[in-house]
Amino acid sequence: MPLFDELAAMDSDDPRHTEIRDKLVTGHLPLAEHIAQRFSGRGAPKEDLVQVATVGLINAVDRFEPAQGNDFLSYAVPTVMGEVRRHFRDASWSMRVPRRLKELHLAVAGASTKLAQQLGRAPTPGEIAAHLEITKDEVYQGLEAGQAYHAMSLDEPVTNDGDGMPLGESIGQDDSGLEGVENHEALEPLIKELPERERRILALRFFYNMTQTQIAERVGISQMHVSRLLSRTLSRLREDLVQESDQQP
Amino acid sequence: MWWDVTDPQRADDSIGAKDDIEMRLGANLVHLPIVRSVAVNIAMRADFDIDAISDLELAVDESCSSLITHAAPGSVLTCRFTIGADEIVFTATVNSPAPSTPSTTTFGWRVLSTLTDNVEAWAEPGTDSHHRIHLELTKLRPVVPG
Repeated sequence: MPLFDELAAMDSDDPRHTEIRDKLVTGHLPLAEHIAQRFSGRGAPKEDLVQVATVGLINAVDRFEPAQGNDFLSYAVPTVMGEVRRHFRDASWSMRVPRRLKELHLAVAGASTKLAQQLGRAPTPGEIAAHLEITKDEVYQGLEAGQAYHAMSLDEPVTNDGDGMPLGESIGQDDSGLEGVENHEALEPLIKELPERERRILALRFFYNMTQTQIAERVGISQMHVSRLLSRTLSRLREDLVQESDQQP
Repeated sequence: MWWDVTDPQRADDSIGAKDDIEMRLGANLVHLPIVRSVAVNIAMRADFDIDAISDLELAVDESCSSLITHAAPGSVLTCRFTIGADEIVFTATVNSPAPSTPSTTTFGWRVLSTLTDNVEAWAEPGTDSHHRIHLELTKLRPVVPG
């Protein structure tokens, strides 16, 4: 795959970088469509699946390291499948949301991811609107529609998606990062009970001070998803802490 | 009902800048989604980036939850958004039986100070031997490089 070698050797500021990356993504679109097809017939609209699979494909193109000697397809297939599986696991709507709003939400999430990669920072609603050629009000609606996403059961075990968590990127372990926090004794066991991905996102935001967009890229989900997971984790910790202090004499 | 506001610095109870937005709600967690969605709406209309919008939402949620936990039963949560050219200031206030402000060494405080650019908490005497507890968050518009 000479294009991948070229891409890997290139500085990401190089104007040709975007061009080659686009070429690689476009060239592999049939793969995303093929995988989306395999998951059709489970109630999710085909276009959504293709869109989600495409996000997976973009991630695969960005993360593939040709120097490791594997070929792209054997790397991309599990990455794209993982993205689609996550979609089924996480992205069920908790209430009846009009189809137009779901589409808007997915379009806004997709555009955010793409723009963040281009800009190297989180985009604004204005930038998303310009990119999608829709109004800012429609962007607001798309962002708000995400609130209706079903928060999956907190007790659901989260499978390790193969990207092993680097040591020290978690909290609630031996090196907890919680020293100096007044209520750390109550907090530590609660953090340990969190699913691995939630614990990692919490640590990256509040102990490593990464932005949500940086975390999204690192963990391989959308910024809007990071936002939802953080919100849910913080509210779970608050509830548990209140319960705990209520139980104390 | 009027509160006895004694600190002259904080005594400006008028909606000074016409862009200020103030809400009064029962100090009850069930109302939080309303405050959150107003926060998101304000930050979106100010065209803050999507990280900043979400951070403000999480911080508003955290600060109001914390205040509600300390609020006197049946009291009112006052939320005020002051929108400047490059910042949004959010101030939440409740009546509390105790004069104590949220501790700056808790995890909750770490959350607030990570999500926003400045956090302040202060207490002042109120009516009926209650105290007014305030939490103020400042979120700056992120600087766009280039």
